[in-house]
Amino acid sequence: MEWLETFWATYSTLALSVGTNILLALSIYLTLACGLLTVANAAFMGIGAYTAALLTLNAGAPFGAAVLAGALLAAAAALAIGRPTLRLSGVYLAMATLAFGEVVRILILNAEDLTGGALGLNGIPQLAGAVHVLVAVAAALAILLRLAHSRFGRAIAAIRQDEIAAELLGLDVGAYKLFCFVAGAALAGLAGALNAHFTFFIGPSEFGFERAVEILAMGVLGGVASPWGAALGAALITLLPEMLRGLGHYRPLINGLILILIILYSPNGLWDLVRAAARRARAARAGTPC
Amino acid sequence: MLAQQFLNAVSLGGVYALFALGFTLVFGVVNVINLAHGAVFMIGAYAALEAVLLLRVPLLAAMAAAVGVTACAGWLLDRFIFAPLRARRAPHLAPMIATIGAATCLTSLAEGYFGAENLRFPAQTLPVETVSLAGVSITELELGIILLALALMALLLWGLKQSRLGRALRAVAESPRAAALLGVDVEGLFRATSVLGAVLGGLAGVLIALYSNSVFPHMGQPMLHKGIAVVILGGMGDVRGALLGGFFLGFAEVFSVAYIGSTMRDAVAFGLLFAILLLRPQGLFGRAAQRRA
Amino acid sequence: MRLKIFLLGFLLALSAPIGAARAAEIKIGVAEALTGNAAQYGQPIRKGFELALGEINGAGGINGHKIELLVEDEQGKKEEAINVFKKLIFQDKVLMLFGPTLSNSAQASDPVAQGAGVVVFGTSNTADGITSIGHYVFRNSVTEADILPVTLKVAARKTGLKKVAVLYGNDDIFTKSGYDNFKKALQDLKIPVAATETFAKGDVDFKPQLTKIKASSAGAVVLSALVAEGGPILVQARQLGISLPFIGGNGMNSPRVFELAKESSDNLWVGSPWSVENPAPENKRFIAAYQKAYGALPDQFAAQAYDALYIAAQALKKIKITGRLDADRKALRDALPAAQWTGATGPFKFRQALGRDGKPAGYDAVQTAIVMMTQGQQYVIQK
Repeated sequence: MEWLETFWATYSTLALSVGTNILLALSIYLTLACGLLTVANAAFMGIGAYTAALLTLNAGAPFGAAVLAGALLAAAAALAIGRPTLRLSGVYLAMATLAFGEVVRILILNAEDLTGGALGLNGIPQLAGAVHVLVAVAAALAILLRLAHSRFGRAIAAIRQDEIAAELLGLDVGAYKLFCFVAGAALAGLAGALNAHFTFFIGPSEFGFERAVEILAMGVLGGVASPWGAALGAALITLLPEMLRGLGHYRPLINGLILILIILYSPNGLWDLVRAAARRARAARAGTPC
Repeated sequence: MLAQQFLNAVSLGGVYALFALGFTLVFGVVNVINLAHGAVFMIGAYAALEAVLLLRVPLLAAMAAAVGVTACAGWLLDRFIFAPLRARRAPHLAPMIATIGAATCLTSLAEGYFGAENLRFPAQTLPVETVSLAGVSITELELGIILLALALMALLLWGLKQSRLGRALRAVAESPRAAALLGVDVEGLFRATSVLGAVLGGLAGVLIALYSNSVFPHMGQPMLHKGIAVVILGGMGDVRGALLGGFFLGFAEVFSVAYIGSTMRDAVAFGLLFAILLLRPQGLFGRAAQRRA
Repeated sequence: MRLKIFLLGFLLALSAPIGAARAAEIKIGVAEALTGNAAQYGQPIRKGFELALGEINGAGGINGHKIELLVEDEQGKKEEAINVFKKLIFQDKVLMLFGPTLSNSAQASDPVAQGAGVVVFGTSNTADGITSIGHYVFRNSVTEADILPVTLKVAARKTGLKKVAVLYGNDDIFTKSGYDNFKKALQDLKIPVAATETFAKGDVDFKPQLTKIKASSAGAVVLSALVAEGGPILVQARQLGISLPFIGGNGMNSPRVFELAKESSDNLWVGSPWSVENPAPENKRFIAAYQKAYGALPDQFAAQAYDALYIAAQALKKIKITGRLDADRKALRDALPAAQWTGATGPFKFRQALGRDGKPAGYDAVQTAIVMMTQGQQYVIQK
C-alpha cells in the first residue's frame, strides 16, 4: 500500500494529464473523422481554461459550474466562427483555424486586466481530481463510441469519404460539420478547464502553436478510425517523455525518432496496428489462414 | 519616419519571403506540409557558422557549406520519410507528423552538439556598412536579402516556366500519375524538390542568422510559424505567392507596429490572414481546388 | 518491418532506468530546464550548482556527509516541472530541491513542494506570486522590484536624462514582470515616458519599434528583455542611428551581450547583485574556478546557483540529520531563513515576504545592487 501511495503521489499529475490529453485527442478525432483538419483546439482549450479559472479565482464559483462554463464558452466561440470558416476545406481550413488560434492567444495576452497577460493566472484552486477527469474521459469515450456506431457515425464517414456525394444523397453536410466542430471545441474547453485546476497556473503561451501541433500529432498518431485510437495516441504522447526520462539529454531526440518510426510503421495510426494484431490473433485461433 | 518604416517593411518582407520559398515549393510539388523546414533552416545557419569558425572561410564559402549540408538534409527527409510514406499510400497528414518528429530530432541534435545559447557570426563575416540617405538607413545585408529573395524568385519562376525540368515539376505538381504515364521520373523529381526546398531553407537560415545576429537551436520555430502564414497568404504551392505573401506580412507587421501598437502586431497579422482566408480561400495566387491525384 | 520493431524496442529499452542504489547521504534535487527554449538559462544554472558541489564535497561535505545532487530536466514546461518535483519529492525522497528555471514553471510546481512540506529554493525566479505561495518557498534571485529603482536612479543621475522610451517583451513572464517594475519605478522617480513599445519572444526584427522610439523625444531607452532579444535590439538600434543609453533589467546582465552585440553593446546600464567585474575576493575565486572548469565566463544564472548551494549548506550544517525524512525536511525549513553567506553575489540574507492572505509566507533575497555601464565591451561599475 505504501508503494501505491508513493506511486500515486509521484504520478498523479501525469495520470491527470493523460486524461485531459485524451479529451483533447478526442476533440480532434471528432473533427478529423468528419474530414475536417482544424487546428484551433489549443485555442478552445485556452478559452475553457481561462473561463473556468477566472470563475473559480475571482467569483468563487463552484467547480462544476466553472468547468461547464468553460466548455460552453469554447463551444460558443466555435459556433461563432464555424459557419464561415467551415466553408474552407483541406489545408486552408487548417490554416484559418491556426490563424484564429493565434488571434485568441494574443487577445488573451493583451487583455492584461482580465487575464493577467503574460503573467498568467496564478494560484488556481486545485479542484480537479482523478474522479473528475476519469468521469469526463469515460463519458466522452462512451458518447463518441456510441455515435461512431450509429447513423450519425455512418453519416460522418460518408462525408469524410466524399462530401459532394454525401450532399447529393441528402445529408446536410454543413450541419454535421458544424456539430463536429462545436462539439470538438466543447471537449477541448472541458480539457482546458480541468487542466487549469490541477496545475495551479495557466499562461497564454501554453495554448499556442506548439500545443496545437501536439494535439494534432496525438490524433494522427492514434488514427482516425476509432475514438480508441485517439485515446491511444494521447496516452503515448503524454507518457513517452516520462518513459524516456532515463535518457536525460537525448530525450527529445529519441522522442522524435520514435514518432517518425511509428508513422513509418503504421501511417494510419496506432489503432490500426492494434486492430490488425487482434485480427491476426482471432484468425490464428480460428485456424484460418487469414 | 514613414520612409524608414517602409524600408523596414521591405527588408522584413524579404526575410519572410526567403523562408517561405522552400516551404511552398515542397508543398506545391511533393504535397507535404514540411514542419521540419524550420529545423532545416536552423541547420543551414549552424553549418555556415561552423564553416566560418572552424574552417575560417569567407561568407560565400560558408553559404556553400550551408547549401551542401541542407541539401543532404532534404535528401534524407525524402529518402527516409516522404518516399516510404508515398509508397504505402499513407494518409495525407502522416508525413506532416513525421516531419514534426524530424524537427524535434534535428533541434535536439543541434542543442546537444552546439549548446542552447545564442551564438553569432564573428564580426568580420558581416557586411556591416549602413547606407544612409535622407534620414533613412538600411544595411548592405538587408539590401542583399531583398535582392536575393527577388533573384531567387525570378530564377525559380524562369526555371519552372522555361526549363524542361521546370515543366516536369509543374506537371508532377498537377498530377503525378499523369506525369508518370508520360514518362517523367516522378520519384526523382520529388527527391529533387525536397532537396531544393531544403537548400532554399538553409540559405534563408544563413541570411537571417546574419540579419538578426543570433544562431540558436530553436530559431526555426517562430519563423515556421510566420512562414506558414506567409504561404497561406500568397497561396500554397505558388512561388510568386510566397514572395508576395512575405512582403504582405512584412508590411502588415511593420505598419501595425507603427500605427496600431506593437502589442497587437501579431493579432493584426493573423487576423488579416483569417479574414483573407474567409474572403479568398486560395490566397492571392493559389489554386482553388486541391490536387486530386 | 522486423528491423523497425527491433529499433523501436531498442530505443525504448535504452530508457529503462539504470537501477541505482543511491548510497550518498544528503540528497538534494535540482529541477532545471536542460533542454528546450529555456535551456540557455538552465544549463549555466546547473554548472553553477555542480561547481559549488565539487567544492563543498571536496572540503569534507556537511559535517562529514557528502551532498548528492539529483538533477532532472523540467524542459521549461510547467507540467514537466510538476512531474519532476513530484518524482524528486515522493520517489527520490530528497531533503530539499532547487529550481525550476522559469517563473511560469515555479508558479505551477512550487505549490507541490509547499503542500508536501519540502523546501524549494529558486535561483532564477524573479516574478511576483512565487514566495507568496508559502513558507517553504525560498529564492536568492533578487527581484526586479528591488533592483530597478536603484539602476534607474544611478543612470538618471549620470546621464541627465529627462524622458525615456520603454521597450519590453510582452509575452514572457520575466520581461513583462520587469516592465511592471520599471513602470512603477519610473512613476516613483517622476520620469515621463515618451513611448512604450513591445516585442515577442523569438522576434528577429525590432526596427519598426525602434524607428518609433527614434522619432519620439526620449533621452534613453528602458529595456526589459533577455539577452537573446536584447543583443539584436542593441545592434539594430545602433544601425538605425539611435545612440541613446539603454537601461536594462536583470536579463541584460550577461557577458553574452558582448558576443551578440559587439561594439553596439556600449552604453548599456544594468543593475544586479552580481557583476563579472566585481573585484571582491569571493567573486574572483568563483570566476576563476568557473573558467577553469567550463572554459567560459560565468553569468548571473551560474553565480546565483553557485551561491544558493552554499547558502543551503550553511543551514544544513546547523541541523541534525536524523534519517526521518519529514522531521529532517522541517528542520531544514526552520533553519534556512537564518542562513547568511557572502559569496560571488556578495553578502546575502533572507527576508520574509507576505502571502496572498497577508500572512507571512516565503523568503526573498536581500542584496545590494551593483550598477554597471558597458564600455569597450566590459561592464564598468558605476557608483
